[in-house]
Amino acid sequence: MIQGIAANLGRFVLLLLLQVLLLDQVDLAHGWMVPYLYVLFLIMLPFELPAWAGLLIGAATGLVMDIFASTPGMHMSASVVLMFVRKHLLRLMAPRDGYEFGMHPTVPSMGLAWFATNAGVLIAVHHLWLFFVELHRFDAFFGTLLRAVLSAAFTLGLCLLAQLLTSRTAERKRA
Amino acid sequence: MRDLFRFLLRGRDTLLFIALMILAMGLLYSGSMHHRAVAINSSNALAGTLFDWQRQVTEYTSLRAVNERLVAENTQWRNRFGLADSAKAIGAPAGADSLTERLYRFASAKVVSATYHKQRNYITLDKGTSNGVLPGMGVIGPDGIVGVVHDASERFASVISVLNPLVKTSVKLKRSGNFGLLYWDTNDPATASMVDIPKHVRVAVGDTVVTMGGDGVFPTDVPVGAVAEVSSPPGRPDQAVIVRLFEDLSRSGYVYVVHDIHRAERDSLIQRQDEP
Repeated sequence: MIQGIAANLGRFVLLLLLQVLLLDQVDLAHGWMVPYLYVLFLIMLPFELPAWAGLLIGAATGLVMDIFASTPGMHMSASVVLMFVRKHLLRLMAPRDGYEFGMHPTVPSMGLAWFATNAGVLIAVHHLWLFFVELHRFDAFFGTLLRAVLSAAFTLGLCLLAQLLTSRTAERKRA
Repeated sequence: MRDLFRFLLRGRDTLLFIALMILAMGLLYSGSMHHRAVAINSSNALAGTLFDWQRQVTEYTSLRAVNERLVAENTQWRNRFGLADSAKAIGAPAGADSLTERLYRFASAKVVSATYHKQRNYITLDKGTSNGVLPGMGVIGPDGIVGVVHDASERFASVISVLNPLVKTSVKLKRSGNFGLLYWDTNDPATASMVDIPKHVRVAVGDTVVTMGGDGVFPTDVPVGAVAEVSSPPGRPDQAVIVRLFEDLSRSGYVYVVHDIHRAERDSLIQRQDEP
């Protein structure tokens, strides 16, 4: 339990630092791909977490992001939407016997297909919300849609890469 | 009564979701205007300090380019003020002249973090209220305008970049004096749109665009950019003018915050005019 909290807290700090100090400040593909990898923290929160706690954690994470990005309410609303959708999505994607103790929303625990689907849907919801709220107008609809989709694909790629890198070290530790 | 409790308990996650969304939307729509105890922007001491540390580590990689820009700017000022010095040398009277009265004070600041590739861009400066940087002041770089301060803490300031649709700057065509608004809707960090130029005004590619001034934000005639494209789309009362910005916002190392000394006096006069 304590270990789980420490792992999540560590992931929170690491992913947010990576986001605000590196990913936010490099321009890849002339603004067409803006990854928000910090959502991996929300995607990897434990299954056992009650939905209300998930919503509050989502709001707090988004608020911290907003402070660094000077965008009050933007990341907060997107993260809250993500956590709300996640609650229903997890029920929809649950194994036949429900989630068992010791299962984690990771590639080694749930398999690549499950993780990619789960993360893909959540990232898409988060990014679409974020990019349209950021623009505040709909006259550039398709440009913004393309931006959001490309960025979401990039974020998903980074999430899978992070899973690959960390699951290798976890296996090595176990061996 | 019990049913109500049961309903609230069952729908509690949805209610929490709605409450949090209302809170977030409230921040989103009133966020950048209101002052609160804790700043939700990068003038926040935590964010500012973290960005400052990062810049201290990374600034060595850009020292050469920053130095070259500063030397070029210095040379430009020397050339301009060389003339003023020679005027003094021949005994021209100084002071008590509205031409030489000081209208603006400039404070230098270092950019500690900046984005230019998002749909709304912000800049963090390492100077705050303790250095006289206040919300509403303009920020200019060596080559042109950079943005407007929207919040400042004691040691840091958060600036809305000109690459942000939230900021509209009064600008004019240097050649004809026609004025319009500079507005970033191009999603390209090198250009911005100039709107409200009537169709009868002749605009040529290459025309210089400068700030209008007089609004307490920017001085008059600060370079902004050059006209890159002009078209007259039907169904629009004004021309579509694309301006190529002089200031390269992807590399602003040092900037100047503009303090309009007479702003308070002018604002209070205008306010008195508006009252019956």
